[in-house]
Amino acid sequence: MQETVAPQVSLSPARIRKKRAAIPWKEIRRNKLLYLMILPGFLFFIAFKYLPMGGLVIAFQDYQPFLGIKDSPWVGFKHFERLFTEPTFWMLLRNTLVLFFMNIVFFFPLPIILALMLNEVRHRFFKGAVQTIIYIPHFLSWVIIVSICYVFLTVDGGVVNELLAAMGFAKINFLTSAEWLRTMYIGQIIWKELGWSTIIFISAITVVDPQLYEAAEMDGAGRLRKMWHVTLPAIRPVIITLLILKIGSTLDLGFEHMYLLLNSLNREVAEIFDTYIYTAGLKNGQLSYSTTVGLFKGLVGLILVILANKLAKKMGEDGVY
Amino acid sequence: MTKRTWKQTAALLLGGAMLLSACGDGGNSAGNGNSAEPAKSNNGANGANADDKQAEKAKITWLNILHTASPPTDTVLNKIEELTNTDLTFSWVPDASKEERINTSLASDSLADIVTLTILDNSSVRSALKSGMFWDVGPFLDEFENLAQISPDTRTSASIEGKLYGIPFQKAMARNGVVIRKDWLDKLSLPVPKTTDELMNVAKAFTEQDPDGNGQKDTTGFVDRSDLVFGAFKTLGSYFGTPNIWKEENGKAIAEFETESYVNTMNYMKQLYDNGYINQDFAVTAKTDQQQKFAQGKAGIYVGALFDSKNLLNMAKGVQDNMELVMVNDMTAQGQQRAIWSGNNGIGGLLSFPRSEVKDEAELKRVLQFVNDLMSEEAYALMTYGIEGTHYTKDAEQAVTISNTDLWQQEVQPFAASRPKEVGYKIHDADPLKKEADKLIADNANYAVLNPFYSLEAPTWSSQGSELQKIITDATYKYILGKATLDDFKAAIESWKKAGGASVVSEYEAAYAKVQG
Repeated sequence: MQETVAPQVSLSPARIRKKRAAIPWKEIRRNKLLYLMILPGFLFFIAFKYLPMGGLVIAFQDYQPFLGIKDSPWVGFKHFERLFTEPTFWMLLRNTLVLFFMNIVFFFPLPIILALMLNEVRHRFFKGAVQTIIYIPHFLSWVIIVSICYVFLTVDGGVVNELLAAMGFAKINFLTSAEWLRTMYIGQIIWKELGWSTIIFISAITVVDPQLYEAAEMDGAGRLRKMWHVTLPAIRPVIITLLILKIGSTLDLGFEHMYLLLNSLNREVAEIFDTYIYTAGLKNGQLSYSTTVGLFKGLVGLILVILANKLAKKMGEDGVY
Repeated sequence: MTKRTWKQTAALLLGGAMLLSACGDGGNSAGNGNSAEPAKSNNGANGANADDKQAEKAKITWLNILHTASPPTDTVLNKIEELTNTDLTFSWVPDASKEERINTSLASDSLADIVTLTILDNSSVRSALKSGMFWDVGPFLDEFENLAQISPDTRTSASIEGKLYGIPFQKAMARNGVVIRKDWLDKLSLPVPKTTDELMNVAKAFTEQDPDGNGQKDTTGFVDRSDLVFGAFKTLGSYFGTPNIWKEENGKAIAEFETESYVNTMNYMKQLYDNGYINQDFAVTAKTDQQQKFAQGKAGIYVGALFDSKNLLNMAKGVQDNMELVMVNDMTAQGQQRAIWSGNNGIGGLLSFPRSEVKDEAELKRVLQFVNDLMSEEAYALMTYGIEGTHYTKDAEQAVTISNTDLWQQEVQPFAASRPKEVGYKIHDADPLKKEADKLIADNANYAVLNPFYSLEAPTWSSQGSELQKIITDATYKYILGKATLDDFKAAIESWKKAGGASVVSEYEAAYAKVQG
């Protein structure tokens, strides 16, 4: 954007400084349709993302609804002290981070690979059909996916365990053992979101300049070489951007999903910040304390995004800001 | 190249954001729709009606808990309005999400004239009550015929710091027991078990001796669900002499899981699990799955509310037509007295009246009059059985037969949990199994084990109760499923004490000493 605008307005340094301070009404008027298009999203972020941030002050209060934010007593860092001394704190942090890294390591590369594979499919009808089919699980809710897994994996007549038993293996308590929780969690995410996540990669691949492929072919590159030296470098900025965005959102591990998987026997690996906030905040009514937990989670997420962005810039990419 | 993809990404992201904002709006209004929209439209419709007929009808709104899948239709509601001369508007909160919904309603002060509060040990509910957000109805009860009948014991149990912040729901004291397949017992020539050891033998026989005679070992004794309270565990615990949550001994508070009886109960469950006498995934089984399994003839012992027997039999129609059930409410373990735990000491919660909605005493008295009217025999019949001729038929002895079960489920059942009083009416069920269940539940009241600290206050428990309970629940499951030893369990109790359990104990002891004077 900057590159295209800068040459048109050639002003003296002083005037530029002045321009920066004031709102560029002229430009807005000229592109009013474009700005109008931003408006809904802008309002959305103001109303649902920025305004509620004010509520974070209750993390420093003993908030009581009937007293309101104005009259609730201020308690400083009391809730933070409680959080950091709570025996469950390290468990929560560990579980959240482990699942987060598993999500990045095991899930993130898969849509890229799948998109590359789909790109190689030349049969248009077949490609379309496959794409449609792999998008479908995205539209199922977590309740349905977890229920399907329950029916398949239960030891009381679940298909998988019956199969294991028929082949002479011991039955496995998938649902009530801590060892299987993470596998199940990542597996379900892959099953649900893999297809949907390929969309942006596929569209990025389609705009790769065909001349590059032709040139590579002239140089005697085969399919794999073209994939490695043409397609991947071309979509690299998209990959980096999506990775950073994903890091930002992945710390929201999905309350609903985990809440459905969570039970007494896998809690040591399954309890994450989101589920903890739900039980402590909404069920037990400790609004201030759970706000503290949420704020802390947000800080962890912010640190991760900043690190990822720095890393991206080091690697010569643009980053998201 | 880079720039082009960038623009595309930006466009995509922008589109995504707009989509999201649209979704956000949609979700929002749908969410509101649950509570506000139907209320509004109802108001409008009823308001018009009322204007046509009677202007003096009192308009009452009620934030109520829904225990069925969908809210009731207007058929019975109109009759109730007629009977009580009111214009009712319900906001239904599904039972499964009551904690968050009630908490957010309290927090945002979006309440109704009547608020059904069933989770009185929840910290925000408790602090809301204590903050004076609701009327203390204690002084007014005796002005109303039916409300005056509420016994002093019930009033004390339902009070918080000596004040009664609502009309207590009067429920059966203790409704749990054991339901067993009678036809399977007969087939294996076993007597109806009366002790826990005999019950273990029945579970063994049901598992190993092919009670359904299909030549396959595909049955278990027990079928249980992932609930240590309303499932089998707590009821079996009563048979082993476990106290109901707390035990008071010489002014000391002892938690149920610190008793030997609790460990005995865990061992009993462990034996059931290790031998395969119980469904192996009971720790993750939902109530509906549990009942389905029983109805499909996969198990022969169900521990839960005794009136569930009728549902089980209904569900088994066409699947297990030869099912016969027997209910046992007087089971004991060796050397133990007969006992059965009482759910919330027979109090199902409070019907509370917020000062923000019910402005003055005159309004309060009108709403109390309404609750008083709901406790009449006619209103009870309406909310329990429906409309005579439409939903049920009645004989000379006031024995009721439900004539249209589907219609009853849709139009009447949702009201059942809203009855302020569920015991002591003439009208009763004609169905032998239901009648028997009612009799056994009434009989249970004589052996009910109460929670001695039910009406007392422990601030730590109110604010951290569910987290503390999680420690014990997890440890109990782990022990039963063989993933932890008794030492691990004891260690869990220690960490419970450290996490706040110790303060809960001392707070209860102090509160108890204060009440005892």
